[in-house]
Amino acid sequence: MLRLKLFYRLMVRPLFREPVRLALTVLAVAFGVAVVLAIDLAGNAAAGSFHSSMETLAGDNDLEVVASGGVPESVVATLATYPSPLQISPRIEDFAVLVNSQQTLPLIGVDLIAEASRYAALQSSTESATRSPEPGADSLNHLTDPQSVWVSSSLNMHAGDQLALLINDRVYDCSIRGVYPDSSGGESAILMDIAGAQRILDRFGRVDRILIKLPPGADIDAAQRELKKVLPPGVEIRPQGTGTEENRKMLAAFRWNLRLLSYIALVVGAFLIYNTISVSVVRRRTEIGIVRAVGASRTDVLCAFLGEAACLGIAGAFLGLPLGRIMASGAVKLMALTVESLYVSSRPGSIALTPLSVFWALLIGVGVSVISALSPAREAMNVSPADAMAQGRREYIAGTHMRRDLLIASLLEVLGVIAAQAPAIGGKPLLGYLATILIIAASAYAMPALVSFLSWATSGLLNRLVGIEALLAARSLTAALRRTSVLVAALATAVAMMVSVGIMVGSFRQTVVSWMNTQLPADLYLRPAGDPAADRHPTISLDLTERIARLPGVAAVDRLRAYEISYDGMPATMASIDLRVLHSYRSSDFFSARPTEEVLGQLRGQNNVIVSEPFTYKHNVKAGDSLALSLGETQANFKIIDVYYDYASERGYILMDRDTMLRYLPDPAPSNLAVFVTQGASVQDVRNSIQAIAAGHRILIFSDRDLRTEAIRIFDRTFAITYALEAVAVLVAVMGIAGALVALVIDRRRELGLMRFLGASSSQIHKLILVEAGLLGFLANLAGLVLGYFLSLILVFVINKQSFGWTIRFHWPVAVILGALSFVYVATILSGLYPARVAARLNPLGVIHEE
Amino acid sequence: MAILSLQNVSKHFDTDGQTVHALRGVSLAVESGEFVALVGRSGCGKSTLLHLAGAMDFPSEGVVLIDGVASSSLDDAKQTRLRREKVGFIFQSFQLLHTLTVQENVELPLLLAGKPHARGEALRRLQWVELDGLGTRYPHQLSGGQMQRVAIARALVHSPKIVLADEPTGNLDTSTGHVILSLLQRLTREQQTATIMATHSTEATTVCDTLVRLRDGRIEEVARR
Ligand SMILES: Nc1ncnc2c1ncn2[C@@H]1O[C@H](COP(=O)(O)OP(=O)(O)O)[C@@H](O)[C@H]1O
Ligand SMILES: [Mg+2]
Repeated sequence: MLRLKLFYRLMVRPLFREPVRLALTVLAVAFGVAVVLAIDLAGNAAAGSFHSSMETLAGDNDLEVVASGGVPESVVATLATYPSPLQISPRIEDFAVLVNSQQTLPLIGVDLIAEASRYAALQSSTESATRSPEPGADSLNHLTDPQSVWVSSSLNMHAGDQLALLINDRVYDCSIRGVYPDSSGGESAILMDIAGAQRILDRFGRVDRILIKLPPGADIDAAQRELKKVLPPGVEIRPQGTGTEENRKMLAAFRWNLRLLSYIALVVGAFLIYNTISVSVVRRRTEIGIVRAVGASRTDVLCAFLGEAACLGIAGAFLGLPLGRIMASGAVKLMALTVESLYVSSRPGSIALTPLSVFWALLIGVGVSVISALSPAREAMNVSPADAMAQGRREYIAGTHMRRDLLIASLLEVLGVIAAQAPAIGGKPLLGYLATILIIAASAYAMPALVSFLSWATSGLLNRLVGIEALLAARSLTAALRRTSVLVAALATAVAMMVSVGIMVGSFRQTVVSWMNTQLPADLYLRPAGDPAADRHPTISLDLTERIARLPGVAAVDRLRAYEISYDGMPATMASIDLRVLHSYRSSDFFSARPTEEVLGQLRGQNNVIVSEPFTYKHNVKAGDSLALSLGETQANFKIIDVYYDYASERGYILMDRDTMLRYLPDPAPSNLAVFVTQGASVQDVRNSIQAIAAGHRILIFSDRDLRTEAIRIFDRTFAITYALEAVAVLVAVMGIAGALVALVIDRRRELGLMRFLGASSSQIHKLILVEAGLLGFLANLAGLVLGYFLSLILVFVINKQSFGWTIRFHWPVAVILGALSFVYVATILSGLYPARVAARLNPLGVIHEE
Repeated sequence: MAILSLQNVSKHFDTDGQTVHALRGVSLAVESGEFVALVGRSGCGKSTLLHLAGAMDFPSEGVVLIDGVASSSLDDAKQTRLRREKVGFIFQSFQLLHTLTVQENVELPLLLAGKPHARGEALRRLQWVELDGLGTRYPHQLSGGQMQRVAIARALVHSPKIVLADEPTGNLDTSTGHVILSLLQRLTREQQTATIMATHSTEATTVCDTLVRLRDGRIEEVARR
């Protein structure tokens, strides 16, 4: 108790003497904690939603039966006549777009008659909602009518309302027959009878999933093995929710990378805590000496400074909690967009601030603060009482060991380079991350040497350009070398992150742009209306396709059909292209660098496939390997004849000949069309005539240019969140610089007062501090640019490659980087405005006689 | 005419509702080439008087004329200009910048004022104080007496008409203090500056032209010799 009081008096109370600086330090920690928390919460919310979307109405089942391209209905019969009692529910699962709101919702077809008892809730709610005299009978009459739907209550619609739904390429005017209560937080869906759904989706003879509930107490594993025996080879039986797990697994790398990106703000915060505690130790050397002389032990001193850091950490973490919660709502929107365009249809779940996440945030805030304070606190512990009191306040010249630090830096650098060469561990680029940490640490150690070298090298020039203020600023920065180095390291880390992510995204973007230029040889591209998502493949009506092919001016139509499949425990896309249209690809984009005609020729009519680059990384396969693919009820072996570069989606792609696919999956409706216009015909005319015959169908027509623009729009949208993360890291760093400059001003007030006696005007003092801020910004930008370049190499060639499997060609996005650097530079100078004002307003009389 | 004159000057400070009268009705005139020693107990107002004389502060009542200009009539910029041209300060604890070399310390006032030929002037002042050759050292490589000589060189670098020294020997041992006093005396003579030195030292009385004794903010005695 007494100790706490002492701690408060000696350590906590002094903090409040510089409220601005205290606030800035705490805010820096708060932002660091908030970002980590926000990304964590948003990641959970974004990933948490798959299981709800489709599983909302699935109920509690044990097993599920699935097959690529759909499960044949004969399997339903097999299961229904299985000797031991099973409760089976076949389902159609697709998506529908609400025409009015453009919202995409799961469309689920279930056997309403057979499962009426299980949907008791649905029935009763229908009755209460319609209040019709014979509600049950009325519902049943319309049950199999494909235009009859049931909607979840969160859509705020009523029985009897009309609802326009876009399903594949057509709009259906459906009647709402009933409303059912949402079982989990607002996960809306559209429910139909299974027969109606099959008809509306043209999916005769197939269902998408069969859910199986075993009798209570049954052995699930044994049942799975037994049932497998009676199922056709291509049909898979697995525990219910496996798909959800697969989606989670697919998202893991993405979430990992975002999470690590979010830690950067925390690293920047750590530098700032280190700086705050170092300043506190240096300022209070005498005080430490006195306290030690009157009986405090070394451990007391150590604990006192660690305690100071912990207080800052706790305050920051508590502030970071609400801040993180707010940021999470923004982050979840950005993340959901990315997830949807790169991975899987999802609608973000609700953000849940669980006790666990609160605990983590606190732990991270306090932990990072205490760890960063360790080294300065140990220094405080080793202050000898006699020494400290005799020397009084020492400047910061002491305490840097440049040669030793440079040695450590080069050692860390070497280790970093070695770590960057290592392969992924368990599919995660763990050593790649380690390499980035090592290289950031190396740069922190090299910083004092860099700062003193650069200020020495540039001071002459600056003196001539800016005047005496530059000389003074450079000198005082090098005099407080340790402090300056930490600040520069903090800002440089933030800048480096901006630069490296900027380079990575820029390189990626450039790669995608040039890839697309070779990928879009057709004149017009068609797809069903509605928002595109990586795992939704609505189809275009066959008759429309055929009418388009017969239009005058159309030379050829390439039909692409895609299915969402699960391969080797991971979601993938299996697609076919029409090899009779041989102008599909303009130039070779294959690993083997063979001409397109040759590779595609090998696909024709045979069980050969080409796979996308990310597929090879996910499943560790290469050209020449063979894949066992299930298609409908059959399982067949396919040979990978080549690998192609693909940047359209992170999901793996398997591509085969259309005729090959039709042999196994006879549904001829295409998902996308590529239309080639005859030489000499007008593309616009063809476009108009397609539009004319497509009346009644909702399809979107894109020129190759539209498609490129749209792809780049999606690309930019995808990376929006990384920009947001960078902005926060820079914000934290700039706040740190402002706080540190305030401290610097306070510690140098005697000197600044003296300057006034020697004839400096107050505007010269103002300028001096701004020049210091500018110098800090310049050093940090320079160091950050260099560090960022190295980090970008790791990001592009190690982390990206190991997490996503994309070959990205290195590219300097010069404009973006220049913009970012100038932004940081301006922000740093702005952060100097307040301290500069404080300095200019110091009363020289008050400070000159202090000593 | 006197280069510096204080006419019935009072200065009071208001802190925490209490008024401290640092100076009460002080009148004093100092000529070029005159060496004035300001003595009195700690807290009697010596430093305050020097601040007023250097236009670092304004009198509460009365007028301070520096080279014929009333300091209260000046805004911040003009005050700064006046200091740059006419006043040099010397402090008890030397107040050298540890990050600058000796010659950089000395030329600092000229650089702040944007004057040319700073280095040459600085080296000449170092000769005056007999420190030629030590210009590239850093202050912490010097002895206390040497540091104060650097401070004197700095105070004189812009050829001020007024030199204000606040207990320049306070941090020095007696013999070193004596050397500094003779140096100040000599330079006052040679450069014809009006030098006012606040001091505790009784020895000061032997080198000065005028002795001003302060007590509780009032001039108790003015002795010319
Ligand atoms: N800025 C100030 N605010 C309040 N009181 C002050 C200030 N400066 C000086 N004083 C007071 O004025 C009196 C004279 O101080 P000072 O001129 O420093 O005396 P000396 O230099 O002779 O020791 C003292 O009582 C001191 O406390
Ligand atoms: Mg005094």
